[in-house]
Amino acid sequence: MAGGTSGTASRPPRDAVTLRGVTKAFPLGEGRMLQALAVDHLALPVASRTVVRGRSGSGKTTLLNLIAGVSTPTGGSIVVGGTEITTLPEPARDRFRAAQIGYVFQAFNLLPAFSALENVMLAMTFARVVPRGRQRARARELLGRLGLGARLGHQPAQLSRGEQQRVAIARALANDPPLILADEPCASLDAETAREVLAVFLDVCREEARTLLIVSHDDAVLAAGDRRLDMAELNAPAGGA
Amino acid sequence: MTLLTIAWRDLQGRFVTSLLTTIAIGLGVGLIVATVLLTGGIKEGFIEGATEYSLIVGAKGSPTQLVLNVVFRMDAAPPNIPFATYQQLQRDPRVEVAVPVAMGDAYEGFRYVATTEAYFAPFPWRRRALALSAGRPFRSDAPARPAYEAVLGADVARRTRLALGDRFYDGEDMAEYPLTVVGVLRAAGTADDRAIFISLPSYWQMNELARTAAVKPLTAVLVRPKRLSDLPALHRGWNLEPETQAALPSVVLLNIFNLLGLVQEVLAVVLGVVVVVVALYLFVTMYNAAWERRREIATMRALGARRVTILAIVLLESCAIAALGGLAGILGGHGAAYLGAHLLAGRGGPVSPAFALSALQPLIFAAVVVLGALAGLLPAVLAYRTEVAENLAAL
Repeated sequence: MAGGTSGTASRPPRDAVTLRGVTKAFPLGEGRMLQALAVDHLALPVASRTVVRGRSGSGKTTLLNLIAGVSTPTGGSIVVGGTEITTLPEPARDRFRAAQIGYVFQAFNLLPAFSALENVMLAMTFARVVPRGRQRARARELLGRLGLGARLGHQPAQLSRGEQQRVAIARALANDPPLILADEPCASLDAETAREVLAVFLDVCREEARTLLIVSHDDAVLAAGDRRLDMAELNAPAGGA
Repeated sequence: MTLLTIAWRDLQGRFVTSLLTTIAIGLGVGLIVATVLLTGGIKEGFIEGATEYSLIVGAKGSPTQLVLNVVFRMDAAPPNIPFATYQQLQRDPRVEVAVPVAMGDAYEGFRYVATTEAYFAPFPWRRRALALSAGRPFRSDAPARPAYEAVLGADVARRTRLALGDRFYDGEDMAEYPLTVVGVLRAAGTADDRAIFISLPSYWQMNELARTAAVKPLTAVLVRPKRLSDLPALHRGWNLEPETQAALPSVVLLNIFNLLGLVQEVLAVVLGVVVVVVALYLFVTMYNAAWERRREIATMRALGARRVTILAIVLLESCAIAALGGLAGILGGHGAAYLGAHLLAGRGGPVSPAFALSALQPLIFAAVVVLGALAGLLPAVLAYRTEVAENLAAL
């Protein structure tokens, strides 16, 4: 399946993401490989909210990284929004990711020297989807929607953990991507803050019919998905070879 | 946001390190600028202060000492020659002008120079005649009736605050021979600015040994031949005399320049080492920053920044630090050179403090920025090669 583009040019694809026969192996040295991921088939319908659960080391983050195109599979096909991303050259993959995918990290990954507003604008600077003259207003608007209108000029260290994750969510939404990937978005938050952040996160994704893929082992997060997948069933690696 | 804004924010995020690196670059660049300006200023000072007289006749000894003392008022005064030497030169048909000069003691560090009005005469061959900004020249007085009048160089008047009509003397034993300020010279940018000119009879009367001596002493005679072709014969003839020597100021100046050139070569090596140390410091700073910021770089890449964008940001950071340090260094270097020139001039050194904008400043600035780019290249490549997936998690 690697290579080519699924779907047709005239009709938008039914699935936001499709994985077929995807494998990811890491070298162990002396010619040996560790197969970390083997997904036979996975399809995420457009506007779906899929939550993938699994133990640590089960390949959840690897799966997200592959779909985001920050790492490439050893084999198989990954189609995102109708584009086969495994065959894209790296610069094209970077541009595609910037415009089509929002990424929310477990540890927020905000840049400490930049204000909340600048952290959100940063994503737009790299993607060049939103015109430069509109970027500041868009960042303000997003942060306002996430309840951070009064914290625009604050740096990450001056924000609470919940606020930091909201900034990270605003950043993921900055380029208006149809697909949002979230890696344990509430794992670094206390239960109450996690519930609040999750509610806001799901709301903004639902309002704009974005496809959401969350990996988490948090029951609250699992309950929020309209589809729940278990990594143990999804991933059937052959082990070291 | 532009890439420059991002680079600037990154630098702000590492404020202390960025500041220290900028200071280090500023110090290095400042040292280079100050050294280049000061050595150039000293050379310029020697050229500006050079005499238009072709020959200096003085007592046997070092020609460098004679020229340094008589023209630049540096070094110890050479032994005296008799006044008759001047009279002999004046009578010589090959000589157009002969000016007697006697170096006396000093008042508040400014040396007395005893001479005649000829020293100030605007001969057509003089590049710049000494002109008065106030008052008049000292009177031609007879040896038996010295006028004790003084004409002050511009720096002397400014520093001692002596004005026309003021009487002054140096030390109680000179209270008997107070000098009266009758004139102040315009600034000439030479050692004359730091001299107090008096007549020879006044000097002889003020000097304890000269007062009683039957043969009145001089330090040297400045000589201008009628024809340049007479110079070698005059030079040779006075050198053959048992008590005198004739020094060619241009030759002495060349020797001084050769010596300065040697000093400049040594300085160039030292400054070369400074450049390497500063570049290494910048390299280490940028390399550490790129290493410590792997997660931030991976995050930017995950947000869609291309590898070349990351490379450009790190290079911009390096160039920005270098540019800031360079600018601070150029400004600081000028300040240090000005201060150095001022101190040197205050101690009688020949130095021109006029540091005009030239090709030097933009050239040094461009060189520092290029050096910054070179020092940042390897760290930028490290950042360029940062693997996203491996570095996204907390390090």
